[in-house]
Amino acid sequence: MFSVFLIPKATGSRTAALAAWGVWLALLAGLAAYGLFGTRLFVLSTLATVFMYVVLTQAWNLLGGYGGYLNFGLVTFFGIGAYTTGILFQYHELSPFLTAPLAGVAAAIAGLAIGIPTLRLRGAYFALVTMIVTFAVQILALDLTITQGALGIYLPALPLKPIAVERLFYFVFLGLAVLVTALVWAVEHSNIGWALVAIREDEDAAEIVGVRTVEVKWAVNAVTCFIAGVVGGLYAQRIAYIEPTGTFAFDISLNVVLMAVIGGAGFWQGPLIGAPIVLLVADMLRVTVTSEVNRVIFSMIVILIALFVPGGVMGVVSRWRRARQPKPEDAAASGLPAP
Amino acid sequence: MLTHVLSIVADGVLLGLIYAITGLGLSLVLGVMGIVNVAHSAFVMLGSFLAFELFRRFGVDPVVAFVLALPVFFVLGIVVYRVVITRVQSAAQTQGLVAMFGLMVLIENLGTIAWTTDTRVVTASYTNASLVLGGVVLPHVRLIAGGLALLLIGGVWAFLRFTLTGRAIRAMGQNPEAARIVGVDIARLSAVMFGLGIACAGAAGVALAMVFPFSPNTQVVWLAWAFLVVILGGLGSVASTLAAGIAVGLIQSVCTAVMPFDTVYLVLYVLLAVILTVRREGLSRAVRRTI
Repeated sequence: MFSVFLIPKATGSRTAALAAWGVWLALLAGLAAYGLFGTRLFVLSTLATVFMYVVLTQAWNLLGGYGGYLNFGLVTFFGIGAYTTGILFQYHELSPFLTAPLAGVAAAIAGLAIGIPTLRLRGAYFALVTMIVTFAVQILALDLTITQGALGIYLPALPLKPIAVERLFYFVFLGLAVLVTALVWAVEHSNIGWALVAIREDEDAAEIVGVRTVEVKWAVNAVTCFIAGVVGGLYAQRIAYIEPTGTFAFDISLNVVLMAVIGGAGFWQGPLIGAPIVLLVADMLRVTVTSEVNRVIFSMIVILIALFVPGGVMGVVSRWRRARQPKPEDAAASGLPAP
Repeated sequence: MLTHVLSIVADGVLLGLIYAITGLGLSLVLGVMGIVNVAHSAFVMLGSFLAFELFRRFGVDPVVAFVLALPVFFVLGIVVYRVVITRVQSAAQTQGLVAMFGLMVLIENLGTIAWTTDTRVVTASYTNASLVLGGVVLPHVRLIAGGLALLLIGGVWAFLRFTLTGRAIRAMGQNPEAARIVGVDIARLSAVMFGLGIACAGAAGVALAMVFPFSPNTQVVWLAWAFLVVILGGLGSVASTLAAGIAVGLIQSVCTAVMPFDTVYLVLYVLLAVILTVRREGLSRAVRRTI
């Protein structure tokens, strides 16, 4: 029950850790260089989408991975963000780049509206409600006059060449991905991170040792939704046209869960691994099979991971590392009397 | 005016009976086993398509499909329990949720591959006939579906109330540890319980198919209805699930009468949020108390 506190977070030697950081930084430098000098539109645009999903999945990871409260409808908040910037452009001619933070705020408010009743409860109520609420928001977007119903909202194309637009979003989403990954890393190494893990492992015990569980869940959920809203707001500008079915597509919620679960929920590296795997495999499969077959394959992978490989890729990696290097602290830690 | 009100009430009660069995499986599995089955509505959808296929290929009446659905989905539920639930039961709750979520996506997409996203209906010989009682029009399909739902609810209630297995299941719901100590085979009964929950979902699918059009990718809507029934009625209690189902049916028929159709869904979601806020203690207490 308390085992989580006894597992040292940092495993492996100092040089190994430095090497790992070196690999991540080299990867980042390589991606930045490709963004500057790469000329293939398709690659730039695919990678920009990968970065967008990295941001979304990292946001999901905060509450879903560390806290164990799964959001099966992240697209709700993403879509609310997209519609916020869309509407602000439509009626006030404000560029989505300026209004993206407002999109985040709108999504965070929606997140609180859903989180306040459901996150007070233990267990899966939050997951269930997030899953079914997308449908209600979609109906709202269809029925309200301000969203222009099924007609949708057009945003202006940026006055740039297509390759320049893709390059712009490539860097926007790459920057956000680095920022949000840094945030998740910081959270993982902070009290909030420990509080979330404690909530995931045993919420009663967390409360007894003084974690304000409900408030932590509310706050972290609001942050998750804020980030999803910002990404949605920028996405609206990127595709330049939003309408209820496409913007609130269940596929986006599904992709985020797939990426987190496959990469490893509850690890800051998880989304960085999961997002490219899922998107690139999906892209490759798209040529040969329909999207339904694609989803059948991925849902089977998710079931298998949930049943046999909890923690996804990062779970395997961390278990392998721990098994390979039994550290003296481990023995000392497990020798402690259980509280 | 009076006949108008009466027909709204009759409509609501008949729909409510169907909603009650839609929520019943979710409620039983959640109340006794503590598993939130997010794939519940996927099994409801499979039930609808069982009725559809039996009718289209063999001309089998939906009433027969309703009866057939019970054993078929019971077995399916036991298979799912053995393959999925037993492996995640001792693990963290999130793992089970992820597995069930994967299962939902799997079933939905297999359904889409098999039956496309077209909206389907089951048209029996009596679909357009109705019974007129003192000015109140009662369509035969709704009467039959509602009657079948009531029979199923009665059956489940009697099963849990009077049979030894049913009593053991109730004991398990109240206190699994104590039940195990007095000799209840928890593993076997959990499988039976889950099978029963899925059987209710499949039967509910058949009943819903008689009344509403359906398609594989809109099944999540029924999860919303089932969940509303569950949180309104509390967990694991057959009688209060019945009452909650009828209440939801009445709310829907009244709303349909006074406002545009789409708005009904929004009323439902607002209701969901309100009940979750108001009943938050009631829910967790209900887990321990009922059946």
